[in-house]
This record gives sequence, structure tokens and C-alpha cells, in this order.
Amino acid sequence: MADEPVQGKGEDASDATQWHEVQKGETLSKIAERYYGDPGLYNTIFEANRDRLKDPNLIRIGQKLRIP
Amino acid sequence: MKKILSIATVLLFAISLGACSQAKGPAEAAIKAAEDALNAGKAEAMKYIPDQVKAAEDALKAAKDAFAKGDYAAATTAATNASAKVKDLAAAAAAKKAELTKAWDEQSKLLPDMIASIKSRVDVLSKSKKLPANLSKEQFEGAKKGLAEIDKTWGEASSAFKGGGMADALAKAKSVKQKAVEIMTTLGMKVPEAAKG
Repeated sequence: MADEPVQGKGEDASDATQWHEVQKGETLSKIAERYYGDPGLYNTIFEANRDRLKDPNLIRIGQKLRIP
Repeated sequence: MKKILSIATVLLFAISLGACSQAKGPAEAAIKAAEDALNAGKAEAMKYIPDQVKAAEDALKAAKDAFAKGDYAAATTAATNASAKVKDLAAAAAAKKAELTKAWDEQSKLLPDMIASIKSRVDVLSKSKKLPANLSKEQFEGAKKGLAEIDKTWGEASSAFKGGGMADALAKAKSVKQKAVEIMTTLGMKVPEAAKG
């Protein structure tokens, strides 16, 4: 599942927003490294998901995150 | 006897001349009607269905040519044919306009979103100390250049649409979509379903 970026729930066919579904063992740093090559950019993902994340260290498996 | 024949010849000529001039009026009127109708809707129809406009113009020209040769019956038939073609133009142009507008609306919903997503990703990657796996520096530079191109072309497409050049706008939109799909793929982004195929 983590091999391909995923679409968010309710997203229409024209929506170009990029999503990632959190897998077991992932952190925002790991996700940032995967998409940006730089784990230090985790805060970019955190800021883009402030509506669903309270703490960058607390993400849940299956959660869908916007990837700017 | 010779005199009688001469009179008969003159009479026949006069009758045929009369018949001829009787056919000339309706032919002239039919051509004028077709021409007036064509001129009334030509400008709008040319934007959407230039081929059909040309077919109507050709039919009208055939009527005028027949008229010039004095073949009024053929001129009337050709003018009637031209009128029929002209009559179809308005409906055909309206249908084509609706089709192009729908296609444009779909692209307008899709492409600015794709461009914004690519911009966002390029902005973040520009801050990255190291590019992600499967993305070389050259590929990233190419993606940045491509982004500038599609941004510019999309602006041109929008201007073309506002100026009534719907076919041109859609052709530009198509090239933007192809390039945007290419860039998203290079950057490892998910391509929206509507942009596939």
C-alpha cells in the first residue's frame, strides 16, 4: 500500500492533491524522506495537516496525510 | 411557306425567352436568400464548424455559377441546397460550442489544480538537502523547467478561451495536461484519474 501515493477519501477524479496513507512503523520524518529525500522536512507535512494532527510525533496507521 | 416558318421560329424564341426570364427571378431570389442567411450566421459558425461553413459557401458558389451560365433551374436547385446547408449551421455551431465549452470546463477544473500541486512539490523539493530516491538532479531541473512552461501555456490557453479561440485554447490545454502528467510522474506524484488517458 505504501508503494504508491494514495488518494484521499471523497476525492474527485480531478483532484490533484497528493495523499499518503500512514503505514505501520512510519513517522513524519520517514514520510518526508520518502517524498522529499530529506527527513528534516517533516514539519512541512505536519503544517499541511494541522487540521488532523496535533503533534508531529502522533500519527496513526491508516491516517491519510496531505503531501505538499 | 418560308414566311410562316420564320414567324414560327420567332414565336418559339420569344416563348423560350419568356420562360427563361420567368425562371431567372426565382433563381435570383433563392440565391439572395441563401446568401443573406449565410452572412447572418457565418462569423459565429466559423469559430466552431469551419468545414460546414465552407460546404455551404461551395453550394452557394455552385448556384451563382449556374446562374451566370444562364442555367436558372440548376441555379435554383443549387441555391435551395445551399439554403438547407445554411439552415443546419446555427444548430451545428451551437452543438459544437456546447461540446467545446464542456471540454474546457473539465480542463479548467483539472489543470490549475495539477499545476498548483506540482508547484507545491517543486517548492518543497527546492528546500530539500537531498532529493528522493528515483529523482536525479537533472530530472528535477527538467521538472522545474517544465513547470514554468506549462504555467505559461496555461495562461495562453486561458487568454485564447476568453478571446473566443476555443479550439486553440483546448489544444494548448491538451499540451499542458500531457506535460503536467509527465512532470508529476517524474516527481513521483499521483496523477489524477481525470488526467489519465
